[in-house]
Formats: sequence, structure tokens, C-alpha cells
Amino acid sequence: MNDREIFINMINDNLNEMNGTIDCLYITTSICAKNKLLNRLRRNMSNINLMLQGLRNGESMSSPPSIAERLFTMQDLSRYNGRDGNPAYIAVNGVVYDVTSNAAWGGATHFGLSAGTDVTSQFASCHAGQPILSKLKVVGKLVE
Amino acid sequence: MPRRSANPQQIKSGWEVGRMNKVNNPCLNYSTRLKTASVLVHKAIEAIKHKDIQKRNLIWLELTGCSGNIISLLNGANPDFKSLASQMVNFIYDNSLMAAEGEAAMEKLYSMTGRDYILAVEGAVSTKDNGLYNIIGRWKGHPVTAYEVIKEFGEQAAYVIAVGTCASDGGISAARPNPAGCIGIQDMLDRKVIKLPGCPCHPDWFMGTLAYVMLFGEPETDNRQRPLMFYSTLIHDICPRRPYFDQGIFASKLGEKTCMFKLGCRGPVTRVDCPIRKWNDRVNWPIGDNTPCIGCAMFGFPDLMEPFISYDTT
Repeated sequence: MNDREIFINMINDNLNEMNGTIDCLYITTSICAKNKLLNRLRRNMSNINLMLQGLRNGESMSSPPSIAERLFTMQDLSRYNGRDGNPAYIAVNGVVYDVTSNAAWGGATHFGLSAGTDVTSQFASCHAGQPILSKLKVVGKLVE
Repeated sequence: MPRRSANPQQIKSGWEVGRMNKVNNPCLNYSTRLKTASVLVHKAIEAIKHKDIQKRNLIWLELTGCSGNIISLLNGANPDFKSLASQMVNFIYDNSLMAAEGEAAMEKLYSMTGRDYILAVEGAVSTKDNGLYNIIGRWKGHPVTAYEVIKEFGEQAAYVIAVGTCASDGGISAARPNPAGCIGIQDMLDRKVIKLPGCPCHPDWFMGTLAYVMLFGEPETDNRQRPLMFYSTLIHDICPRRPYFDQGIFASKLGEKTCMFKLGCRGPVTRVDCPIRKWNDRVNWPIGDNTPCIGCAMFGFPDLMEPFISYDTT
């Protein structure tokens, strides 16, 4: 199964869950239960938003292959710190990603990390197993 | 996402319409959540009146912190502190509020040994030199450290609620260089702690959680032990300025009414319901007052949330 199919399946799963949640909302009278159901709906919407972003990124990556082949040294990467007109790039497992417009990278920083750096180890310790990288735009590869 | 130069005044969104119509906000997500704490507290008070449940004893310990959480609790409105203290719990001990002082106050605290009580804790635990840097009182002539009191009362409590960011994860008390070796109370206790991070904790978060615990037991929590009823949603997902983010319209300096993502807003990584609940009798909140969210309800605050403001971001 390719990435696109995985995203579509995940979107469908979320839509099915939302249908069930909405049915429950109609019948429940408890305000606490309503609150929980609304939270669940909000989480589903957030998931779908992320999946759509992943689908869009997948499409844009497949069209200009030359961009993904761009090579960065650590010194090159450090220039892309998200300041003074430079975009914000990070490297994970040798791949360079664009996080300039990624909501979690406000001010080109994220949980004490700055753009323009290799964050492989921090990513592994915090986000292992989460479908995050596939939603980011690839801009090139990191070389020694 | 490109920056745009559209006039922010022209953008009308459902969020903004809802925000303007504060009294009759049509959005279920807002109106239902706003009622959560008051419904729970009133249910608990009714249940006590009908003798379905009993008043519980409450101990509130102030450890290594600024006492901001107890001040915040006093600022609660619907539900307010008076309802909590007079109708919901027997407020046994809090060094800031109780009339007793010195050994007489400590006597009240130690009178709870072996009895049923719920423990609320604000402030981190200072661990360096056996906790010598935070002494909360004297008992039978000996100084009592935060370190030993949390061990003694934390393990025996029916429930332990960490109120505020310092008690939850160390917070400001544990910020670099952390000279007193402060840690969150979960790291001290071999049991589950319900965490209510926030600097300070909103009165609703505490009172709603306490009422829930009394009525139904432990609330459903996320993987960081925070009750889902208050901490499930990213600020970014319910922010009234979200339409500006989606359209790439960003503030370049404080005071602008658009999305503060480029200034380093931490709303996209902070899970809590500030935009709905607001502060100071539901009047205002940071983003509504033109300052970015600084992620005070997230683990790692403040060190991992810095810098609080960034300029010249692309």
C-alpha cells in the first residue's frame, strides 16, 4: 500500500468515526458526554487536516523531482534557519524538510530546537512511529 | 504558505462572528465546554446535599512555586471558590488561606494521617540536599521539607492532583539551571498523579476535575495524565485567529490582530482550552490580548518553549 492509499484509508477511518460520534451526539443528554464527543470530533478534524496536508505534499513532491535531489552540507543547512528571509529547514535521517509554514514550528523553533539543524535524535526520541515526516515537504538530502 | 497583504478587517469567519457574539455563541464546541466545570461542581454539590456522596477532605500543599495557583483558584467564577470551600469539600489545610498558623496549622495537616483525603499540590519538589531548600513548616520542633511532606501525604491520598505547571512537570521552578533540583511530583510518587498544568492552573480545570473525581472517580486522561475534558484540543485548532493562519496572514510585531505564528506562538503545540474558557472572569486571554501563547500548559515550559517572542522570522 502506498502513502496515498494509507492517507485515504486514514481519512475514511476518521470520517466513519465522526459519523458514529455525530449519531451519539444526537442521543446523549449528559453535558460531560457531549463534551467528550465534541473533543473527539475536533480530534478527527485535526487528523483529517493533517492527512490532507500529507496528500498535498505527496502530490507536490512527485511533480518537481529535481528539488528533492538537492544536496545540503551541515553548513548549507545552518543558513536555512527561518530568519531574515531564509526558509526554515530541518534534517531528519539524512532528509531535509521544509518547516517554514509548519504550525508546530512557530518562530522557526520547536520545543527548544531551532531550524537549520539536524534533529534526527530528538525526532526519534519524541515522534518515533508517528506519521509526521510524510506530511512535510522534502527539499533535499543531507551530505557529510 | 505565502504572506498576504489583505486587509485583516475584511476577513469574517465563523470564529470571529462567534467571538463577537459572546453571550449567545451558537457553537456547541464553545457553549458546551464553557459549562463543563460549573455543571460538574453543581452536580457534586447537589449529590452532597442529597447524601449520594460525602464531602471529601481536601489538603492543598504549596511547595516550590509562587503560590499563583491558589490565587488563581480564588479568582474562580461560576464555579467560585466559595462554593468549593463551603459546599463541596472540607478544606483542611492550605498555608495561604487557613486561619491557624505555625504548629497549630501543621497539627491540622498531620491530623489527616491515616484518614481519607484528596491531595492538591502546587509547586515543584526541591530535591537537592534532601529537600533542604523548601521547608513548609515545623512539626514538633523539626523542620518539614516539601520533599518529605509529598512523600508522606502523596502516597496515602485517595487522589493526587498536581495543580499548575511546576507541580505537573517541574515548570519554572525546574527551569535551567534548576539550582534547587526541582522536579514534578509524579517523579516523587509511585502512583498516578492527575496533572493540571498551566501557569497558573485555571480555576475551572481544578474545580471541574475535583468535582469529577468526587462524582465518578478518576477522569479520562491523555498520555501525559491530563484530563481530556480540558486538555484534549490544541489552542491552534480553536484559536479565533486561525483563519489568518490558514490564509497566511501573519503579525510581524506585537499588537497586530492577525496570527502570531511568525512571532513564535506556541498555540500549535499547546493542548488546553484557554480560547474558550478565558481568564479573569472569562474576560481575556493571552492571544486575545495580542501576546503569543507561550505554552505554559505544556511539559518543558519554560525552557522548551523559549524564545517567547521571535522577530524577523521568514
